[in-house]
Amino acid sequence: MTLWPHALLLLLIVALFVWERYAADTVNRLEENLLVSLLSLITLVSFGQVVARYMFNTGWAAALEFVMACFSWMILFGMAYGLKRGVHLGVDVALKRFPAGLGRWIAIGGAASGAVYALLLLDATWLSWLGVDTRSGAIDYWSKMYKINIGAEELRWPTWLHESMGWKDRVPRWLVLLALPISLALLAFRSLQAMVAIYRGERAMIIAGHEAEELVQQNQGVLKGN
Amino acid sequence: MATLFLFGLLLALLFLGVPVGLALGLSSVLYVALFTTDSLSSVAISLFGVGTHYTLLAIPFFILASAFMSTGGVAQRLIRFAIAVVGSFRGGLAMASVLACMMFAALSGSSPATVVAIGTIAIAGMRQVGYSKEFASGIVANAGTLGILIPPSIVMVVYAASVDVSVGRMFLAGVVPGLLAGAMLMLAIYVVARIKKLPAEPWRGIGEVLTAAKEAFWGLFLIVIIMGGIYGGVFTPTEAAAAAAVYSAIVALFIYRDIGPLKGIPWASASDDALTRVGFRGVVYGFSFYAVFSILAFFAVGPAVQGGQAPHGWGMVLGALVALAYMIWRGPGVAPLQLARACLGGFRVLGRNVWMMLRQARPVIMGEDSRGVVLEAAKTTVMLMFIIANALLFAHTLTTERIPQTITEWMLDAGFNWFTFLIAVNVLLLIGGQFMEPSGLLLIVAPVVFPIGMELGVDPIHLGIIMVVNMEIGMITPPIGLNLFVTSGITGMSLDRVVRAALPFVGVLMLFLIIVTYVPELSTWLPYALMGPEIVTQ
Repeated sequence: MTLWPHALLLLLIVALFVWERYAADTVNRLEENLLVSLLSLITLVSFGQVVARYMFNTGWAAALEFVMACFSWMILFGMAYGLKRGVHLGVDVALKRFPAGLGRWIAIGGAASGAVYALLLLDATWLSWLGVDTRSGAIDYWSKMYKINIGAEELRWPTWLHESMGWKDRVPRWLVLLALPISLALLAFRSLQAMVAIYRGERAMIIAGHEAEELVQQNQGVLKGN
Repeated sequence: MATLFLFGLLLALLFLGVPVGLALGLSSVLYVALFTTDSLSSVAISLFGVGTHYTLLAIPFFILASAFMSTGGVAQRLIRFAIAVVGSFRGGLAMASVLACMMFAALSGSSPATVVAIGTIAIAGMRQVGYSKEFASGIVANAGTLGILIPPSIVMVVYAASVDVSVGRMFLAGVVPGLLAGAMLMLAIYVVARIKKLPAEPWRGIGEVLTAAKEAFWGLFLIVIIMGGIYGGVFTPTEAAAAAAVYSAIVALFIYRDIGPLKGIPWASASDDALTRVGFRGVVYGFSFYAVFSILAFFAVGPAVQGGQAPHGWGMVLGALVALAYMIWRGPGVAPLQLARACLGGFRVLGRNVWMMLRQARPVIMGEDSRGVVLEAAKTTVMLMFIIANALLFAHTLTTERIPQTITEWMLDAGFNWFTFLIAVNVLLLIGGQFMEPSGLLLIVAPVVFPIGMELGVDPIHLGIIMVVNMEIGMITPPIGLNLFVTSGITGMSLDRVVRAALPFVGVLMLFLIIVTYVPELSTWLPYALMGPEIVTQ
C-alpha cells in the first residue's frame, strides 16, 4: 500500500491552513472564482457545442466528457465550499429546541459527521482497525489509476502540448479524478474547522434551515412597513 | 435489521441537524462499510460519477437561467403584463399575482425564487390598494409553488433522471395541470373577492396589454426557446437548458440592462428626434420579427444538418415589411423621403447600440454583477447537487438490498390496487415533504414507489406529476415549508401568521391534488398527443 498520496494530501491541507491564516479573503475569492469559472465553462462549452453541431455540423468530440468532468469537479469542490459557507440544507427545527449547551454539542456532532463521511470515503482502512471488515477508498482507487496510467475516453491534450512535452496524447484518467481525493480531504478539513468554530461559539451550526436562507436575508422585511 | 439501521440512522442524523446530503451519504456509506463486502472506492467513484449523468446536467443550466431572470426588472414586467390582462376583475391584483407567478414559474424552475421575485413587488402593490396582508402573502406563498409544476422544473428533471423517463414528456405533462392549478387559485380569489368586495383595477385598454406584452416579450420568449427546442425535436432538454442559460444572460445584461455596466443606459437616447425614434422602433421590430421567425422555423423544420431548410429569405422580407408598416403607421405615413430618413436614423441608433455593446462586452460579461449572479447560481447548484449525489447513493443502496422489491411484494400481497396505492403515495409524500427537501425526497421515494406503480398499471408520467404536486403542497405546510419561510422572511410576518394566511388556499391545492391524482388524462393527454406514449423498460 502506498502512503505518499496521503502525505501529499495532508501537506496540501496544511498549506491551505497556513495560507488562509494570512490571506483568508484571497482564498475565499479563489474558491468562488473556481466555482464561477467551472459553471461558466460548462455553460459556454455546452452552448458552443449546440451552435457548432446545429449550425455548422461540426463539434468537439470530447466536449461532453469535458463538460461532465467539469461538472463533477464543481459538485465535489462545491461540497467543501458549501460546508464552509453553510449553504447545505438541513433540518434545524429540533436543533433549535435543545437547551443551548446540549445543542452546541449536537451541532459539533453534526460537523463531525462531515469529517467521518469524508475520511471514510478517502480511505476506510482506519475503520478496519476498529474491527470492521472493510477496505479501500478514493485514495486507493486514485493510486491504482495513477499506476496503470490509463487515458480518458475522448479527452486529448492539444497537439502542440503533448508533442512538445512528449506525453501520451490522451489526458490521463488520474488527472481527471484528482478532484475526488482533494475535495474529500477539503471536506474533512472544513468539517474540522466547523467543529472548532462551533465549539468556540463563532458559528451556531453547519446547516442552512432552508434553501433560500440567503435570498431571504437579502430581502429581509422589505415589506415590513406595509 | 440492516434495513432498520439504514433508515434509523438517516432519520437520527436528519433530526440532529446533519445536512440532508451528509445524512443520506453517511448512512449509506456506513451501511456499505458495516453490512456489505463492497469496497468503499466504488462508492467514492459513484460520487464522482454523478456529474456524468447527462440528464442531471440540465440542472445547473436551468438554475443559471433562473438566476439571470430573477435579476431586476423581469418580474416587474411580468406583473405589469399580468395586471393589464386580469387586473380589471374583482380582486384583480391578486389574480394578477397568480398569473405573474405562473409566468415567472415558466422562466424559472424554483419556487422560492418565484416567491421572492414576484412577492416583493406584488404584495406591496396589493397592500397599497387595501388588501389585507394575510390575503396578499397567502396568495403569493401558494402561487409560488407553481414554480416546480410549470415547466421547466428542476424537480421534474430529477424525477426523470431517477426513474429514467423522458424529461420532455414530463415538462409537457406539467403544462395542463399547471394551468389548471393557476385557474383554480384565481377562481378561489374571485369568489373571495366577490364576498369581501375587494377592489378592481380600472381596465386600461388593449393598448396597455400590448405595450406590457412587448415589454415582457424577451423574458417570455425563453419559454419558446426551451419548449420549442425540445418539442421541435431539435434540442435535448440539456441542450435546451444550456441555450436558455445563455439566452437569459444576454437578455438580462444586454437587452433589459437591469444589471451590469449598461444598467440604465436607454436604447434610444434623449437627443434622438421623434422621426429617428420611430425609425429605430421600426427597425428593431423588423429585426426581432426576423429573429423570432428564424428560431421558430428552425424548431419547426429542424437543423440544416438533418435536411431542414429554414425559409430565411421569407423571414427577411416579412421582417422588412413589418418595419415598413410600423413606420408608415406611427411615423410620416407614405412619404418615401421621410421614411428613408426614419430608416436611416433607426439604423444609426441600432448601430450605435451594437457598437457600444461590443465595446463594453468584456466588462459586461466579466463584471462584478454578472459574476455575482453566476456565483449565486453556482451555490444553489452545489447545494442541490450535493443532496442529489448522496440521495442517488442512498437509492443505490436501497436497490442493491432489494428493498423496493420487498415493499412491492408486500403491497401486492396486501391487496393494494392503483386507487388505494395512489392514496398511499400521496400520504407518504405529504408527510415526507414536510421534513425533506423535494429533490432528495423524490430520489429516495421514486425508486421504491415507481416499480409498484408500474406493476399496478399507473402511468409513469402521471405518477411523476402526482409526486411533483405533493412536493408543492409540502412547500406550504409546516414545519419545513420552504415557501412559508420565504414569505415570512420578506413580509416580516411570523411563521404562524403566514401558515394561517396560506391555509385557505392550501385547501384549493389539496382539491387540485385529488383531481390530478384521479384524472390521469390531465397529465398524460398533452405529452402523449405530441410525443407518443412513454414506454418503460424494466
